[in-house]
Amino acid sequence: MGNALTILVGLLFAASVVTPYLYSILKKKTGLFLSLFPFLIFITLVIEAMQMAPHEGHILATNIRFLPGMDVAFRIDGLTVIFGLLISGIGTLVLLYSSVYMSDYERQGHYYTYMMFFMVSMLGMVFSDNLILMFMFWELTSVASFFLIGFDHHLEKSRQAALQALLITGFGGLCLLFAVILIGNITGTYAISELLEQHMHVGNHSRYFLILNLVILAAITKSAQFPFHFWLPGAMAAPTPVSAYLHSATMVNAGIFLLMRMYPVMGGTVLWKYSLLLTGGITMFLGAFFSMGQKDLKRILAFTTISALGTMTLLVGLDSSASLRAALIFFIVHGLYKGGLFMSAGIIEKTTGTKDIDKLHGLFMVLPVTAVMTLLALISMAGLPPMLGFIGKELIYEAKMQLADVSWIVLPLSVGANIMLVAVAINIFRQVFLPKKGMPDLAVRYTEKNLSIALLAGPVVLALFGIFLGLFPKNIDIIVSNALYFMGNIQYKTTLSLWHGYNDVLQVSIFTVIAGVLVFIFRKPVIRFITILINWFNIYHLPTLFTKTINNYLAGAARTTNRIQHGYHRYYLITFFLVAMTLVAIQLIRMMHVETEVAPSPIKIHVLMLLILSSLAILFAVFTRSRLSAIIALGVTGYGIGLLYLYYGAVDLAITQFLSETVLMAIFVLVIYYLPEFAILSDRRTRIRDIIISSGVGILVTLVVLSAHFLQTDEPISRFYAENAYTLGHGRNIVNVILVDFRALDTLGEVTVLTLAAAGVYSLFRFQIKKKI
Amino acid sequence: MNTTILEKTARLFLWIVAVLSVILLLRGHNLPGGGFIAGIVLSVGFIFYGIVFGSHAIQKIIKYNSRTWMGIGLLLVLISAIIPVLAGSEVMTGTWLIISLPLMGEIHLGTPLLFDTGIFVTVAGLILSVIISIIEVLEWNT
Repeated sequence: MGNALTILVGLLFAASVVTPYLYSILKKKTGLFLSLFPFLIFITLVIEAMQMAPHEGHILATNIRFLPGMDVAFRIDGLTVIFGLLISGIGTLVLLYSSVYMSDYERQGHYYTYMMFFMVSMLGMVFSDNLILMFMFWELTSVASFFLIGFDHHLEKSRQAALQALLITGFGGLCLLFAVILIGNITGTYAISELLEQHMHVGNHSRYFLILNLVILAAITKSAQFPFHFWLPGAMAAPTPVSAYLHSATMVNAGIFLLMRMYPVMGGTVLWKYSLLLTGGITMFLGAFFSMGQKDLKRILAFTTISALGTMTLLVGLDSSASLRAALIFFIVHGLYKGGLFMSAGIIEKTTGTKDIDKLHGLFMVLPVTAVMTLLALISMAGLPPMLGFIGKELIYEAKMQLADVSWIVLPLSVGANIMLVAVAINIFRQVFLPKKGMPDLAVRYTEKNLSIALLAGPVVLALFGIFLGLFPKNIDIIVSNALYFMGNIQYKTTLSLWHGYNDVLQVSIFTVIAGVLVFIFRKPVIRFITILINWFNIYHLPTLFTKTINNYLAGAARTTNRIQHGYHRYYLITFFLVAMTLVAIQLIRMMHVETEVAPSPIKIHVLMLLILSSLAILFAVFTRSRLSAIIALGVTGYGIGLLYLYYGAVDLAITQFLSETVLMAIFVLVIYYLPEFAILSDRRTRIRDIIISSGVGILVTLVVLSAHFLQTDEPISRFYAENAYTLGHGRNIVNVILVDFRALDTLGEVTVLTLAAAGVYSLFRFQIKKKI
Repeated sequence: MNTTILEKTARLFLWIVAVLSVILLLRGHNLPGGGFIAGIVLSVGFIFYGIVFGSHAIQKIIKYNSRTWMGIGLLLVLISAIIPVLAGSEVMTGTWLIISLPLMGEIHLGTPLLFDTGIFVTVAGLILSVIISIIEVLEWNT
């Protein structure tokens, strides 16, 4: 089945590339058609999960290898399959949902392309067995989410949110890159499977502190943990299906995935425990607390997501097998209910045109199916039976109670957060679906009968999955055990069940629910209190602070650029020459003591003549009063140098020199007619300055060339090229083989720079034409 | 100043230079030549042609925008870098296909040739883009 998976992911990638063309053929059916791909992946993964043995993972090696140590290989174990199942399953539903929800939008082709890219990069990140590959996909998810969040790019708010998300997650991405390289250097491998199987742990290394910080930064920026949590509510600017996908299975969960994947490599230390505990605990509580004070349905859900992510971070940090298990189960729980809730919110917004819970009311009769499905999802969020959410919450409480050393702080925080979540769940249902007295009837655009099945499929399927797994949790036992085996290398047999018997955990749960109901009953003072707090916090409004910082940075950059980029060509040249000269001079002084070994070769008379001719031409160019003759004199020097190359056997160099001289001449001839009168405008002083600088450069360059010839510190590399050009490069022209084979990367870089230069030239000329018109 | 002789010469010159540049490109691996040189040679022919006939004439011959040609060149370079990856070696490894022909002996076809072709197209497109810009500004000024 494994190879089928590789092929399917490849197909998904191919589909994402051709989506713009598909859209022009399939039009409104694009979403339906595309949802087939993740669905097939989902089926494959289900089969894979059913065949899975408790302590076995396998690697799908492809023959592809990008760079040494960067093999493209995928890994199938419990963890990747759990994430893969949610990504592909919810992906299918979101695409179905989009096919209806997005039907009024423009640029749907773009939308589906971004969405597919997002899905592929997320799947790739989860499945990759190579750290660098994982990093690449990680960055791709950031880029794809940038386009998705900013999809309504005509709105200032969307652009702002997209940029914010990109900057923050991009910063995390850089941290991850450094961490990955460090890990690779320390352990000597980038393969995740090797790291896991050989029990490599970097905890004792002297750089552990640095690596840990980098990884945690990467994870908490991506997973919107305090103090980087603010980009996630901003990302609400995206269309609802995007939010549903972003929150439930992708993007923000990537950080959690990273922590879980890295746990066996670097987890389990005191530092790991307390840093994750701190950020996760604060996020968990603040998210739940602030969600109560929001009015916008999507914003409420966004804050509950932040809280849930905080819970998962905290659990991974708690570092016991029970807490890791709880984190995994809670990831599934959260994905199932959050996806459904967002899709329901989208349906509500589509039918009524508003997301404000104060304006909504009495929708139960209008949208009965949506209401029931929302209720089920909310029950799961509140952690009540019979949903999977109940099991998740019980496990969380159990894990936290087991740890005597930190449970005094963790447990109250967690109970507090859960109380708020219960209250929020009741509040949402009460405000949106039940009738309120004294409110005018809502203007409803559709009733449920007019709604397409594709729109309802998402909430229904996810809620049913929630119930099914809640009632029969045995189905995920093996896969969770497998994931745990590869996370902690602990042989931990998982048996999940809905009913644990009457114990401490259940007592805490009952207390949570009662307290939650009480908070709901006294919601008015509570909300007022929270609003006051939020207003108070708004003095330190993080998004605004962030924007301010970025703007200040940009202003500073603009000031510096204005100073450096003054626009006077002569000063650029002077700066450039002076800096280069100083550096060269320093190096020359440092190398003074090195003895010369190579004797100078005898002077040849025709070379000398060539040099004298070139020098005379230069002198003529400097002193002549006609522009044309100066240019021609320069050309004489250029051709002289070309001849010199030819004389020493560098035919390719000579040809290039001749050709570029010719092109330069031709261009000069083209424009010389249009240039203004040639006049000497500079005064005596500037000319003396120029003479000093130019002769200084001349002398230094001569010295460098001479010392390069006479000093041989190492065996010249040219010998390798000469020996291997024909055997390895199949070519007799060594220069060409070097250019296109041995050092092709350099050539690629040069050509790219040239292309950029051409773009600069083009825009300069265009600018001139436009300005004159 | 355009005369029939000049126009005929420019046209002939362009053709000769075009053929020459392709020859330079193909023989580049064993003898002096190669993509960079061939690209400059081709653009020299076009410069002469452009001086005589104007930028629109160049545009007509190269059909696509010169910047598009630069893009095509870079794409060829990219493809030549990716092919080895698909063949199972690391990126940018020279990958060769050796064909034996009855009359010509063995022919070595490899990604370096594709790479060189990409360089050729990019360099030619680059110089043409600059030249066309200059000629256009000049034409616009007069």
